[in-house]
Amino acid sequence: MALREFLSQLDELGDSAEQAFGAAADDAALEAARVEYLGAKNGRLKNLQKGLATVDAADKPAAGKQFNEVKSRVESALATAQARIAEGARGESLAPFDRTLPGPRPRLGHVHPLTQTIEELKDIMGRLGFSVATGPEIEDEWHNFEALNIPRSHPARDPLENFYLATAEAAAGAALLLRSQTSTVQVRVMESTPPPVRIISLGRVYRPDTADATHYPMFHQIEGLLIDEHATMADLKSVLRLFASSFLGEDVHIRFRPSFFPFTEPSVEVDMSWHDPNQQGGVRWIEMGGAGMVDPNVLRAVGYDPERVSGFAFGIGVERVCARRHAVSDIREFYRNDVRFLHQF
Amino acid sequence: MIVSWNWLRQYVTLDMSPEALAERLMMAGLNHEDTHAVGDDLAINVEVTSNRPDCLGHIGVAREIAVLWNHPLTLPAAAPPESGPAAGELAQVALEDNEGCLRYTARVIRGARVGPSPRWLTDRLATIGIAAINNIVDITNYVLMECGQPLHAFDLAKLAGRRIVVRRARDREKFLAINHRAYELDASMCVIADAERAVALAGVMGGADTEITTATTELLIESALFAPMSVRGTARKLALHSDSSYRFERGVDPEGVEWASRRCAELVLELAGGELATDVVDVGQKPPPRTPISLRYSQLQRVLGIEIEPKQVEQILLALGNQKLRADANKIEVVPPSWRADLGREIDLVEEVARIHGYDKIPEDTSVPMIPSHRTRMDRVLARVRQALNGAGFDEAMTLSAVEEPWSDAFSPWTTAAPLRSVMPILRRADRLRRSLVPSLLGARQTNEAVGNATIELFEISHVYLPRGQGQLPREELMLGLTSGHDYRGMKGVLEMLVAALNPSAVLEARETRQTLLDGQNSAELWVKTDGASEQLLGYLGQVNDQGLATFDLRLPATVAELRLATLDSIAELIPKFQPLPIYPAVSRDLNLVVDEPVLWADLARTVSAAANPHVENVLYQDTYRDAQRLGPGKKSILLTLTLRSSEGTLTNEEADDIRARVVEACRRAHGAQLRGPEVRPSVVRRNL
Repeated sequence: MALREFLSQLDELGDSAEQAFGAAADDAALEAARVEYLGAKNGRLKNLQKGLATVDAADKPAAGKQFNEVKSRVESALATAQARIAEGARGESLAPFDRTLPGPRPRLGHVHPLTQTIEELKDIMGRLGFSVATGPEIEDEWHNFEALNIPRSHPARDPLENFYLATAEAAAGAALLLRSQTSTVQVRVMESTPPPVRIISLGRVYRPDTADATHYPMFHQIEGLLIDEHATMADLKSVLRLFASSFLGEDVHIRFRPSFFPFTEPSVEVDMSWHDPNQQGGVRWIEMGGAGMVDPNVLRAVGYDPERVSGFAFGIGVERVCARRHAVSDIREFYRNDVRFLHQF
Repeated sequence: MIVSWNWLRQYVTLDMSPEALAERLMMAGLNHEDTHAVGDDLAINVEVTSNRPDCLGHIGVAREIAVLWNHPLTLPAAAPPESGPAAGELAQVALEDNEGCLRYTARVIRGARVGPSPRWLTDRLATIGIAAINNIVDITNYVLMECGQPLHAFDLAKLAGRRIVVRRARDREKFLAINHRAYELDASMCVIADAERAVALAGVMGGADTEITTATTELLIESALFAPMSVRGTARKLALHSDSSYRFERGVDPEGVEWASRRCAELVLELAGGELATDVVDVGQKPPPRTPISLRYSQLQRVLGIEIEPKQVEQILLALGNQKLRADANKIEVVPPSWRADLGREIDLVEEVARIHGYDKIPEDTSVPMIPSHRTRMDRVLARVRQALNGAGFDEAMTLSAVEEPWSDAFSPWTTAAPLRSVMPILRRADRLRRSLVPSLLGARQTNEAVGNATIELFEISHVYLPRGQGQLPREELMLGLTSGHDYRGMKGVLEMLVAALNPSAVLEARETRQTLLDGQNSAELWVKTDGASEQLLGYLGQVNDQGLATFDLRLPATVAELRLATLDSIAELIPKFQPLPIYPAVSRDLNLVVDEPVLWADLARTVSAAANPHVENVLYQDTYRDAQRLGPGKKSILLTLTLRSSEGTLTNEEADDIRARVVEACRRAHGAQLRGPEVRPSVVRRNL
């Protein structure tokens, strides 16, 4: 084929393809036009490409160049038509798009605020080398009282101060009760582990308090225990300072006030300093919990030698910490589980 | 304990500000509650811990102040003049109940004039909130608040037989107390009686019949040592608590009984006149001598982490009333004072030295050695469970561990044993320790329905208490409870997602279950199986039936589930190993299989997988159609998508169609399935190309 003839067929094909694509009103018409012009097996462009082989060898570069130009012209006409039809399908009405409409929001569940507090306290204590230990919530009197240096005559053992279980065993003298503190776990760990020990025990504890804004008959405790050959009260104060500083994210100081717990001697109430610009001197002391050096009677009860090892323990009420942190004024909210409450944290 | 500033000054110089006093006392163990003015006096309210009953009187608090400021402590002599006949000739005392009363003393005063107290005395009592009655009663109250020893004055003339009998009450014995209320007693209670009847509840309250009136001239002053357990029991049973019972329950100074009696007589003579009979009637045991305690100085460093000079240690211990037996370079041996029953061991002395020396001297910057700690496996599993469920829109709830009986009975899939019960309900009527979290979660659902919350998707991770029989602690098993507003399949999808989040190879199997709370059809017992492990019971799932909804006062449909965390823990693959990604594209084929109604998806899917092996990647359930006319009665059409992939090359359409044909044939043989719809419908999964 002569070069001229080839080029003129090429031009005509280009024009007619542009026209056909431009006239297509919908997907089906466009598809038909596409098959006619750009069909892989029998399209007109494909057929013309066969003619390229018959062009004189000397003219082939020019013919090939022109062929490629027309091919891209046709393809671009197809793309334009596709875009036009797609646009038309989308914008039947030409109403403007409201970019302020809300997106469909997936519902995200929330972790209970008490769990959040517990996890954070565990995390901090973990960094200080304390591993988590757990134990039963239903206990015998040995672990809840005797081993913790709480003799039968102690007021804390009054049946009205505890949730004893109504069982046949209770009548036989082997009374079971819901634990009143997580120190029971410490006893169980010490009974089964030689020193050194560095644990936190945590979980639900139960005391017959009337439910009000600051009391609930069930609450959570976190208790730390460290037993070693040379653990001192200075170590206790230092650990608590690291703990409080980590929790509050600022450097705090620790204050001990003498107190009384059967399972520790000496026993102290722990305060931490809190920066309060409204307070004279800019510092306010807030209560953190109880602590002390593990009583030698407790060490003996679990089979440790108080002359060889010493240790300290401390306890923190989770509800109180969590309530203060999130400004929750009534701790009963933690157990009502109103979804609107849970979604605030 | 409220102490009066002016009163304290009788025993110790107060040369500090009230604020400084309150602060220092707090740092030594007496927590400051508040201080307020009463007339020209200050009422300082301090909290006294149960181990320090010695501070339940002004002298005890004054002693603490004297020690802290290193001031002298001045105490009244309590040496009233005695005259005339011996007390024992004027009144007899018989101590019959040795358990309830350890020691009983009586003094007798004749010719006293009952009348109003002088101003100084009524002022003292007013500051600490005690109303004045008459000079005799006021004096007994005054001495009680001075030294902490409760006293009682009887009108001796009204004691039948002029006799005191300390005995157990008779069953149903009647008693009219000075609060003019009648009480019925029982044989566990210790009473003070005369020859005929109970005239006082030992250590708790006096009686109206023998109380002091303006006509009284003869007094019997009781100063006794009642047993703490006995007093506590009586006060509890009668719900009758007094300043006296409060002190006896905590233990009074056994050596202080005599002093208080003399002090009381001294004030009566001074303010009401009369004549104190010679001597005292004193029955019961004399307090045993205290055992000496040694304090090794090295223990201070060992326990407190600081050094304290032996000289200072000795000074503190002696100022607190300990008597020194001996001391050397290494230790000091002392006898503790009678009013400090809490001091019996070396460690007790360590605490005394520490609190007086000051806990502020203990450093807060020692270096505690670093050691590794481990997050437990269960904690890691729980973190994943919470994350997955939060992502699925579930909120974490926390509910009480006990429920009331109807709730407890509503659902108990893990045990048929009766629930454990607490003697007292934990809250309201909730006395059953729960055997499932589901009832509590349905309760939380009701709370939310009541306030109009539209979406209620809750889970809880907590223990259930499964009885194990006599003498054993119950099995406490950690459970994951869930409740949702979605239907059975909606909830099942969440559980499938959860299981896959812990182990992608885990296969969940649903079997029929019978639970009274759940719908008979839309419920299942769930089992889980992972590669190379035997299947395990995971839990239960189902829609709550109408009766169940009524039990929990629910208006809207609810689905519940409960899963064993032990099973989730055992299947969890916390550190997955990398699987090479496929290089070749996947091909998918849709199949529309008509089967009889009883054919289960799980069985069909198993057949499909087996027939398409080894190139099956996924068998995805799409939908079920029922159309009796087109499919025939008792038939259903299940649409599924089969995804095929080879690890050795791209599967051709022909290969895929061959596999598909194999699948169809296998389903026909195993389940009588017929292929429906277009014979071939290839659809290449383009996203992988």
